[in-house]
Amino acid sequence: MKRNLLMNRLEHLPTLRIQPRQTLTIRYNGKNLRGYAGDTVASLLYGCGERIFSRSLKYRRPRGLYSLDGECSNAMMSVDGWPNTNAETTPARHGMVVTPQNVVGSLEWDPMGWMDHLAFVMPAGFYYKLFHKPARLWPLAIKGIRQAAGLGKLQPEATFDCRCDAIYPNTDVCVVGGGPAGMSAALAAAENGLRVVLLEARPHLGGFCDYRVRAEKGGMPLYQWVGALADEVRATENIRVLTHAPVVGVYPDQRITAFQRGSAADVFDLRYIEIAATSVVVATGCIERPLLFASNDRPGIMQIGCAHRLLHTYGIRPAANAVFSVAHDLGLEAAIDMHDQGVTVHCVADAREDGQDPQMLSALAQRGIPHWRGWVAQVAHGRRQLRGVTLSNLTGTFKKRIGCELLVASAGLTPLTGLVTLAGGALAFDHHTGFFLPQRLPPAVQVCGRIRGLHDPSSLSADGTLAGLRAAADCGLNLNREIARAEAAGAAAPGAVRGSKLAMAPGKGGKAFLCFDEDGTVKHVQQAMAQGFDVPELIKRFTSIGTGPGQGGMPGHNLPLVVAHSQASPDSDPQPTTIRPPLVATPIAAYAGGKHDMAKRTPMHAEQLTAGGRMERVGEWYRARRFGADPGAQDEIIGVRTNVGLLDASTLGKFRIFGPDAVKALQRVYVGDMTRTVPFRTKYAAMCNEDGCVIDDGVVIQTGENDYYITTSTGRAGQTVEWFRYHTRYDSWDYHMVNLTDAFGVINIAGPNARQVLAAVTDADISNEAFAFSTCRDLLLRGDVPVRAMRLGFVGELSYELHVPASYMAAVWQMVETAGQSLGIVHFGLEAQSTLRMEKGHVILGSESEQRTTLHDIGLGFLWCRTKPEAKTVGGAALRHTADQPGRLKLVGFKMEDPRSRAPRDGSPIVDARIRGYVCTARFSHALQEPVGMALVDDDLVRPNTRLGIYEDGCNGTLRHAMVVPMPFYDPKGLRMRM
Amino acid sequence: MLNQRKRLWDAPPLKSHYDAVIIGGGLHGLATAYFLATRHDIRDIAVIEKRYIGYGGAGRNTAIVRANQRTQENVPLYKEALDLWPVLTRELDFNLMFYNCGNLNLAHSEAALKAMRLQTATAQFHGVDSQLVTPAECKALIPALDISDRPSYPILGGMFHPPGGIVRHDAVVWGLAKGASRKGVRIHQGVEVTGIGVQKGKVDSVETTLGRISTPRVLNAAGAYSAALANRLMGICLPISVLTIQAMVTQPLKPLLDHVISSGGYHIYANQTLKGEIATGAHMDRWPNYTTQTSAHYIKHQAEALTDLLPCMRGVKFMRTWAGLADMTPDMAPIMTGNDPVEGYYQDCGWGYFGFKSCTVAGKYMAQYMATGSCPDILLPFDQKRFEAHRLMGETAALVSYSADN
Amino acid sequence: MALSLTCPICGLRNGYEFRFGGADKGPRPLEEGLTPAQWCAYAHLNTCVAGVQLEWWNHKDGCGTWFVARRDTRSNREVPKEDVQ
Repeated sequence: MKRNLLMNRLEHLPTLRIQPRQTLTIRYNGKNLRGYAGDTVASLLYGCGERIFSRSLKYRRPRGLYSLDGECSNAMMSVDGWPNTNAETTPARHGMVVTPQNVVGSLEWDPMGWMDHLAFVMPAGFYYKLFHKPARLWPLAIKGIRQAAGLGKLQPEATFDCRCDAIYPNTDVCVVGGGPAGMSAALAAAENGLRVVLLEARPHLGGFCDYRVRAEKGGMPLYQWVGALADEVRATENIRVLTHAPVVGVYPDQRITAFQRGSAADVFDLRYIEIAATSVVVATGCIERPLLFASNDRPGIMQIGCAHRLLHTYGIRPAANAVFSVAHDLGLEAAIDMHDQGVTVHCVADAREDGQDPQMLSALAQRGIPHWRGWVAQVAHGRRQLRGVTLSNLTGTFKKRIGCELLVASAGLTPLTGLVTLAGGALAFDHHTGFFLPQRLPPAVQVCGRIRGLHDPSSLSADGTLAGLRAAADCGLNLNREIARAEAAGAAAPGAVRGSKLAMAPGKGGKAFLCFDEDGTVKHVQQAMAQGFDVPELIKRFTSIGTGPGQGGMPGHNLPLVVAHSQASPDSDPQPTTIRPPLVATPIAAYAGGKHDMAKRTPMHAEQLTAGGRMERVGEWYRARRFGADPGAQDEIIGVRTNVGLLDASTLGKFRIFGPDAVKALQRVYVGDMTRTVPFRTKYAAMCNEDGCVIDDGVVIQTGENDYYITTSTGRAGQTVEWFRYHTRYDSWDYHMVNLTDAFGVINIAGPNARQVLAAVTDADISNEAFAFSTCRDLLLRGDVPVRAMRLGFVGELSYELHVPASYMAAVWQMVETAGQSLGIVHFGLEAQSTLRMEKGHVILGSESEQRTTLHDIGLGFLWCRTKPEAKTVGGAALRHTADQPGRLKLVGFKMEDPRSRAPRDGSPIVDARIRGYVCTARFSHALQEPVGMALVDDDLVRPNTRLGIYEDGCNGTLRHAMVVPMPFYDPKGLRMRM
Repeated sequence: MLNQRKRLWDAPPLKSHYDAVIIGGGLHGLATAYFLATRHDIRDIAVIEKRYIGYGGAGRNTAIVRANQRTQENVPLYKEALDLWPVLTRELDFNLMFYNCGNLNLAHSEAALKAMRLQTATAQFHGVDSQLVTPAECKALIPALDISDRPSYPILGGMFHPPGGIVRHDAVVWGLAKGASRKGVRIHQGVEVTGIGVQKGKVDSVETTLGRISTPRVLNAAGAYSAALANRLMGICLPISVLTIQAMVTQPLKPLLDHVISSGGYHIYANQTLKGEIATGAHMDRWPNYTTQTSAHYIKHQAEALTDLLPCMRGVKFMRTWAGLADMTPDMAPIMTGNDPVEGYYQDCGWGYFGFKSCTVAGKYMAQYMATGSCPDILLPFDQKRFEAHRLMGETAALVSYSADN
Repeated sequence: MALSLTCPICGLRNGYEFRFGGADKGPRPLEEGLTPAQWCAYAHLNTCVAGVQLEWWNHKDGCGTWFVARRDTRSNREVPKEDVQ
C-alpha cells in the first residue's frame, strides 16, 4: 500500500523533468525498481521508497539522500560496475545494475554499525596516536584499516569500455552556469555578435529557478521565465549549449576544461572538453550550507533544494510530514509548496530573526504553518531513519521536540567560487552576505548572479546582462554606453541579500557532521585546534575534513566559520580553504579518452613483418629487434659476417644544412674540425653537451659548396635542428637546416657479399677503387631510382648504406632482396646489429655512455679537435678540463676468464670491496666463439689483463670474473670493412 | 594516549639568540632540529618557517619511500632512511604510518631492463632487498596490470623492492615537530628570514621579519626556495632548477594496489594510500617556476598513461590534483654542504623529488655536520664542488630533460 | 596550460608547445682560459630568481624559433617589456 502510493508520482506538475509515460527499470540490490525517463538513479530509488543510500566511511552510520547535486558521498554507489558513482547526478537508464557500497550486511542492518559506538576512540587524528605500540601491532592494523577504508570496489580485470570523445572549442565568451544570470550573460554577449559557449552541469538549463512556481518575474512564474530564457538561448545560433557538462578545471588565459555525459542519442558516453576562450563569465550560483547540529546526517534530513526538486522536478512527495529548519527564503517557499502538494509541514524554524520576504510569511500564515524566528534544529532523533527533531532557540534556552519523517535543514547558501579561485581570483569574507565573495578578479573573468549574493530575479537578469557585456568588452568590443546602461539597471535592482550568520546550532552533545564523507565533526575541529592546528588548511589535513570524495563541497564554507567561531580572537575574519581541481570528481576514462598512440613506422614496416620481424617500440619508432625465435639472433649475425644482410635503418636522423655560415654552425656543435671536410667523403663526427658528454654521433658529408648532409642517431633526430639553433642563437649566422628524417629511408646492406648485391641493382662502377670505404656517392638504381650511398662500417663488414627517398623505399627494398636471394641474403635487426658492432668496439650512445661520461671516457677523444677554440665548440671547455683527469669511469673491453661461460648480464656491477663500474653490453661473439663485452670501470682498472669481478643480481656474493682486453675484439685492423 | 588537549608543539615567542637557526619548517629542517636536540644536545634551536610547517614539499609529495637508487653513494643513505621510520615512530610516540608494501618498478625497453639490473645488483651488493621480476610476476603482484602487448610500451619486466613503501607525510611533519618541541626546539611559524649576518667570515646573525637573532650557525633548509634564498641572502648561485611537479588522487577504493608501482617509461607512479585513494603523478613541467599550478595537459596525460598500464583505472575518478616544487640538480643528487662560503652557513637542498624519502637521514647527518663542524663521511660525495670538477654523481644515466643543455 | 607564451612568429600559444632554454646568460664565453668555475657558472649555475627573468624559449612544436621572453617565475606569466624595471 505504502509502496504503491510512492510509485505514484505527481504527474501533472508543470515543472516536471521526468516523463511519466516512459517507464524504465533498474536492478537494485537484487530487486527490479521502476522509474521514469528523466529520473536520476537517486530520484528513482527515493521514489521507490529507498531511504538509506550508503554507510559512512568511519562510523558506518546510515546515510540518505541529502542534496541532489553530488556534493557528498551519501549517494555513491556502484553503477554497472563503475564504483563511486554518484546516484544524484547519474541519469537512470533501463537495465542499469546498481548496488550500494561499503556495506557488509545490508544498508539497513550493517554488522559494522557498532563502529559508531567507538567514535570516542576515533578523535581527530586518532590514527597518528594508535596502533604503533607495540610495533608488531602495526602490520595487523594496516590490514584492518585497508579493508575498512575505501568505498567502491574495483574489479582488476574490468576495462570500462565506453564511447569516449574529446572536443577543443575556441570561443569568444565561455559562460559557466545555465541559470538565469548565466543565460542572460550568454544572450548579451551573443547579441553583440560574439561566439558563446554555455556550460551547464545539470542536464537542463534553468538553474535554481527551474523548479519554482511561486516566485515571479514580470508576472511570470520563475520556471516559465527561465524556460523562455532557455528557449531564446537555444534559438540563438552563436550560442553553443553544452549541458550535463560540469566544469572541472580553470587555467590561465581563460582555458576551461569540462566533461560531459552523453545520452544514448549522443555519439559519446563521456566527452572531454577543453575550451580556449577570450573571456569567461562565472555564473555558477550557490549550493546550500549544511546546518550543523547533532546527528545532522540521519536519513530523512535533506537540504531545501533536494526536497524541493524531489517534489517539483521528479514529482515525488519526499515524506508525509516534515519540519523545516532553514535560514533563507528559499526554505519558506519550499515549505509552502510542500504543504500545497499534501505534505504536512509541522513548523518552519528560521535561524533569522528578521529579513524574511513578507509575502512568504503571509503565505505560511494563510496555511497555518508556524514560523519560528530565531529557532533552529538542535538534535535529530532516530537511528536508521529520522523520527523527530528537537528544535531550540539560538541560545539553546528553550527547546521543543517534534516527531517527523523529514527534516529540511539548511544554514543558508554558499556560492560556488571554485572557478574564481582556480582562475587566480581572491576571495574575502563578506559580513553582509556571510559569503566568501570574489574580491579581486583576474583579467577577462566576470562573475554574476547568486555567486555575488544576489537573489532577486530582476537582479540576476541585470547582473547577467552586465557580465555578458563586460565579457564582450574583454573581447575587444567598445560597449561603454551599453555597459553604463546595464550598470544603472543593476544598481536599480535589489542588491545582495543578507545571509545567515549561523555557524552551528547551540548545544555540544552528539555528532554534528561538517563532512559526511570523512565522518568529520565539529568536535574534531575543536580537538585539532586544541592541539595547535590553527589554520583551516592544517585542520583539514589533521582531521581529513574536506578531503573525501566530495572534497570541500560540504565543509568548504562551514569549516572556516567554525574555526573563526572557535578562535580566541573573535575579530578575525574566516579564512577560506584551498580549492583544487577537478572541481567535480571526474572519471579517468573521460580524461584518457580513446587511445591515440602516436608511434612512427618506417616505410619498411610491413615488409619486415612479412619477413618475420619481431617489432619493438624504440622511442617513437617501431623497429625490428630480430627475425627469428633466437633471442641472440645468431643466424642473423652469421649471415652478416659470412654472407650478406639487410637492415632497415630508416630511423636515423637525416639533415641538410646549407648556407654561407653552415660550416661555422658545424664547427660549433661538432667536436671535430669541420673545416676539413672533403666533398663526398664521410666524416664520422660527434656532438657533446656542455659537460663534454657525447650526446650524438653520425656522419657529415659535404655535398656541395656550403652544403652538407648529416646523419644523427635515431633518438636525437627530433632535437637536432633545435640544438644547432640553440647553440648559435647569439650569432646571427646565415644557414638553413632541413630535417629529411622522414623524407628518406635507409637500407644497410652489410657483409662480405654486399658488393655483389649492390652491383646487381646498379650500373655504376662500385668497385673498391671507384667507391672506397668512407666515401659517399649518388647513384641511380636500375637506371632511374636516385639513392645516396655511403660506405660505412658500423657492423665491421663491407657495407653500403643507401639513403632512399621514402616513396621509393619499398621498391628498392624489394630490388635488393631479389638481388640477394640467390646468395641467401638475411634480414637482421637491432639485436644482431648490437652484437656485431660490439665485436668491433663501436659504442651506442646511452648504452656504453651515460650522463657523466665524456668523449674521452669512451675512447673517442680523437674525434675532438683541440685547436679550434675560436669556434667555441659546445663541450670544448669540459673536454679540455677532463682530457687527462684521473678518477673517471672509462670504457674497456673484456673477456670472461672462463671462455666457455655465458656472457654476463648487461648492467651487472663490477665490484671489489665497493662498486667499481658496470657491464655495458656483453654478448657471445660468434666470430671469437666466446663471450666478450664492454664495461665502464674506474680508471685504475683499465690496463689489459686486469681482473674484473662481476656481481650479477641474485649471485649472493659469488662473483664471476673477466679480464680486461684491448678492443676491438674483431678485425682490429679494420680490413673487412675496407674490402 | 589520546590526549586531545595538549598542543603537539608549542608556539613560544622568538628569542634574540639561538645556538642554531634553521630556515624552513619542512621535513629536512624539522628533522635536523630533532636530531640536533636528541643526538647532539643542542636544544637552543629556532626553526623559522615563513608560512606553516609542512606547507611546501612536505605536504605535497606522494610519500613513497625506497632504497633502490643507482649509485653506491646514495643507496646506503636511503637504506638508513628506511631503517629510521620504525625508530622514529617509537621515539616520537607518533604513528608515522610506515606502510611497508614494497615497490614495483616496470621496464618497457631493453635499456630499462639493463638499468634495473644495475640498480638491483647494486642494492643487493649493499644488502638491500631488490629483485628482478618477469611480467607474469609483475601481474601476480599487481593483478590489475595489463601485461599483454596492448599497451603502447608493453611491460618487459620489473624490479621489486620489498623494503620500500609509503609513509604518511603529514604525520612525519607533526611527529618531528612534536618531538623537537618536547626537547626545547622553538618552532616559529609565519616568520620570514630576510638576511644572514656575516662577520669576519663567520655567520653571526639572522634577520627576520620579527627582528634580529644572533646565532653562530644557520641551516638553509628551505626546500625548493633554498636556491633563491641562497642567492638573495648569500649571493650564492646553485646548479638548481626549480620545477613544478604534479600529483593527484582518486576517490577511495577498496584495496586494489598492494604495492607502489612506477614506470619510468610512462613517467608515472601509483600507490594506494591506507585510506584507499590511489595517489599518482610524476610529471614535471620543464620550465622553472615557483607556482604550484596544475595543468590540463598533465592530468590528461596522466590518465592516458595510467589506463594504458592499468585499464581498470578508467572506472575511477580523480578527485584532487595539486602541485609542489622540486629543486632539481644536473645529476639528480642533492647538495649538502657546510661552512661554505662562510663558517657557520649550512645548506641542504637539491633533493628534487627525493626530499621526502631522505628527510630523516639528511636530518641526522646534517645535525652531525652542524654539531661537529666537520662533514660526515657519508655526506662527502654531496658537495656542490662536484659540478665544477666535472664529477656528476651518476644517479641518473640518461641526460636530464629539464636542463637547457641537453 | 599552466603557461602561455607569445612566439614572435606564431603569436600566443599553449606553453607546452615550447621548450625552455635557460635564463639568458649572454653569448657563449671564450673557450680558451675558461676556468672550471667560470665554465660551471655558464653551464649549470642559476640565480633561481623568484621574479621576472629574461629567458630563452624555442617554439618546438611550431615554427622552431628561439626567442627571448620575459616571464615572472612567481606567476608563470609573460611580462610586457614596458613593465620590466
